Amino acid sequence: MSYLILKRSFRRLISSSSSIHFQNPSFKSQCHHFCSSHLKNTIQASGYHSFWKRCRGSVLFSANYLKISSFGPSERFFGSGAAVELSSSDGLTVEGIIAKQWPIVEESVSDWKSHASSIAQSIHLIKKRLKWKKLEVRLAILSSQLEKPDLWDDPIHAGKINREHGSLVNKVKAIKVYEQELFEHIDMIKLAREENDPNMESESMKALASMRKSIKEKELEALLAGEHDSCSCFIEVQAGAGGTESMDWASMVMQMYKMWAQHRGYRVTVVDVMPGEMAGIKRATIKVDGEYAFGYAKAEVGVHRLVRISPFDSGKRRHTSFAAVAVIPILDDGATTHFQINESDLRVERMRAGGAGGQHVNTTESAVRITHIPTGISASCQNERSQHQNKASAMSVLQSRLDQLEIVRHAQANAQHTQSLNDISWGNQIRSYVLHPYRMVKDLRTNYEVSDPDSVLEGDLDAFIFSFLSASMDKDEDDL
Amino acid sequence: MKLSFAPSSFASIITPIFTQSKIHTRPISYSSISTRPTSLKPKTPLFLRPPTYSTTVSELQKWHNWAQTLASSVGSTFLESDNGPTSENLKREVVWLLEDVLENPKSNLIDNCGFNDGGDFVKLRVELGDLYVLWKQRVEERRPFQYVVGCEHWRDLVLSVEEGVLIPRPETEKIVDLVSDIIEGNEMLKEGLWADLGTGSGALAIGIGRVLGSNGRVIASDLSDIAVRVASFNVQRYNLQDKIVIRQGSWFEPLKEAEGELAGLVSNPPYIPSGHISGLQAEVAKYEPRLALDGGEDGMGDLLQLCTGAASMLRPGGYFAFETNGEDQCKFLLNHMETKTKGVFYDLKIVSDFAGIQRFVTGFKVK
Repeated sequence: MSYLILKRSFRRLISSSSSIHFQNPSFKSQCHHFCSSHLKNTIQASGYHSFWKRCRGSVLFSANYLKISSFGPSERFFGSGAAVELSSSDGLTVEGIIAKQWPIVEESVSDWKSHASSIAQSIHLIKKRLKWKKLEVRLAILSSQLEKPDLWDDPIHAGKINREHGSLVNKVKAIKVYEQELFEHIDMIKLAREENDPNMESESMKALASMRKSIKEKELEALLAGEHDSCSCFIEVQAGAGGTESMDWASMVMQMYKMWAQHRGYRVTVVDVMPGEMAGIKRATIKVDGEYAFGYAKAEVGVHRLVRISPFDSGKRRHTSFAAVAVIPILDDGATTHFQINESDLRVERMRAGGAGGQHVNTTESAVRITHIPTGISASCQNERSQHQNKASAMSVLQSRLDQLEIVRHAQANAQHTQSLNDISWGNQIRSYVLHPYRMVKDLRTNYEVSDPDSVLEGDLDAFIFSFLSASMDKDEDDL
Repeated sequence: MKLSFAPSSFASIITPIFTQSKIHTRPISYSSISTRPTSLKPKTPLFLRPPTYSTTVSELQKWHNWAQTLASSVGSTFLESDNGPTSENLKREVVWLLEDVLENPKSNLIDNCGFNDGGDFVKLRVELGDLYVLWKQRVEERRPFQYVVGCEHWRDLVLSVEEGVLIPRPETEKIVDLVSDIIEGNEMLKEGLWADLGTGSGALAIGIGRVLGSNGRVIASDLSDIAVRVASFNVQRYNLQDKIVIRQGSWFEPLKEAEGELAGLVSNPPYIPSGHISGLQAEVAKYEPRLALDGGEDGMGDLLQLCTGAASMLRPGGYFAFETNGEDQCKFLLNHMETKTKGVFYDLKIVSDFAGIQRFVTGFKVK
């Protein structure tokens, strides 16, 4: 059985190298011979990926053979430079499948056209989210820069180019592998039908169905394809005008993000809190550590509005209050847009220092504020146990705030990103939380709404985040 | 020099656990003046004690609520009476106290989100009952938080402290920054012999010991035997016993053999005028060692002694940095050095702390 599959999946591969046949039941040596002699020119011509998966399932390969996986897609797809559109043996492409408009039915139904149609649409969506055409153009530019002989004269620049190239190559590679796999399965099903092999057909059908599921999940990941999306971030909440009621609202919003972040498995640290006189907070900054923290949290930037009967109003009147949320990515050390801070441009001040200080005072409060004088941007921290650590923490917030300035400056010089930044501009009202007279949370950008504000305020935000991310990524229909 | 210690009536309610078998100072390149053998051993800070006690999450939550309520009851009364801590400061200390006594402080348990539900058990480094006593001492008796937990976070260090030893102040951190800047590119200073006089917990000695080059050494002295023990403990905890030697004695007395050899000299000597002591915030006046605070009638007694000593102890090109009470003392000292010890020092400077108070006097001995 396994031999049969191997043979069939090879048939197309080896049509150009007729000298190889699988008559000999000594399967392993055949493969060995085959692989070593035709690895680069033959296997790479077509679906080796899928082939290897099958082989591994049926035959025990030695480590030698498995190493072959390290060759492959990148060379295959980029060796020649030009991107060739992939297709099935009878010329079916992803666009072709979509054009056929095969109806998509439930996953449980064994209908290869339905599966293929769903997968093709997922591929299409992911490409769109990755801004595929721009990505290919950018990749071509980077590739040509990498070939310049004097590139490494400027190692920092070269490193940047190299990193960006690597990350784009990986994205393209991942999609190409999906396309490859899709056509491989389609070919197998057709072949199985020709040769009347129901086992093979059902196996490929299963593979197609599982692929359909896994690529559906990739759609979400593709939402977070922005340059800084994988970064950790700071989330800042600031109370709007309106005294204690709005400061209480600000602390509810902060609490919502803390719980959201913890549910997602991020590490949350409070960096800076300015409490309100009676209750709540005037403003606060938390650090959210973990992969894609910024990618998700950036969807929350804007003004959040609360309507309720204020517990701070003895007259039990309905109040509307606002809290503004800002999200700042914490760039990796290797990031391209770091703001260079001059030590001499900084002013460090002890906050809330009363009296003579020094030996006169024993306090555990050692908050500092650091101001970057040229820009007027400042940051403070009081939650660490030593002044030194407060200073270090404030410094990292300041660095990120200045980095964000740099990102905006960079983006303005680089028109392609401007759109996405406009989407997350600060100051727009994005969501309304109504606790009275009815109960509802509604996102004003996507119109997504739920009728259970409590769960949202307890950090159940993912649905809002995903609906916003997909709406903002997918709105330009033809922008592949 | 007066030798007086804080009343020990609020000394730890918990039997100290001695993990230190023996405090010893290893001699380094120069001959070591014998340090008086001590029978007492330093107390172990809470965060270094074994987590041998356990309680339920809900019991701990009860404690937490009680502690927060007690903190809230303070409002700004301490602040108004003697510039003491506010509710806000105390509430933050509750979190830090839990951080020190919990076995796994990084779990979400003590996050501001509150506690997880359930009757799960948590491991503690003190008994729950003692936790109540400790927090009462902090709020009702005004025992300094650092003595309650037995440590102070200073720069990137966590230093053991206890009654009888001055709790290092945030302002003093800056001396390490100054030293760190000054030794940059100056091999003589970087690899030389430094002294920290009146070292207390050993903060400056350890801070400087960690920025010096591989051949740099520090001698730290203190008159108080508790300070000598605690500083030695801290030096060993940072594994710097080959670099830093702690000696007991008054100012320059324990390092006479280093006369004219010091590459650097730092000190945070007592500088508060005697008459001001009783009016200080309760945490300081009632608990911290007078020996480390009281600088005589005008607070200048020890600083002037240090200036005189610096002239003979520093080698040419050597650097000094002293902490003072503020602007008046800085100016007085500067004037004193420019006139009384004219021609001995150069590049004399007054450096402010982060609160903008003129805090430090620095300079070099002429080459």
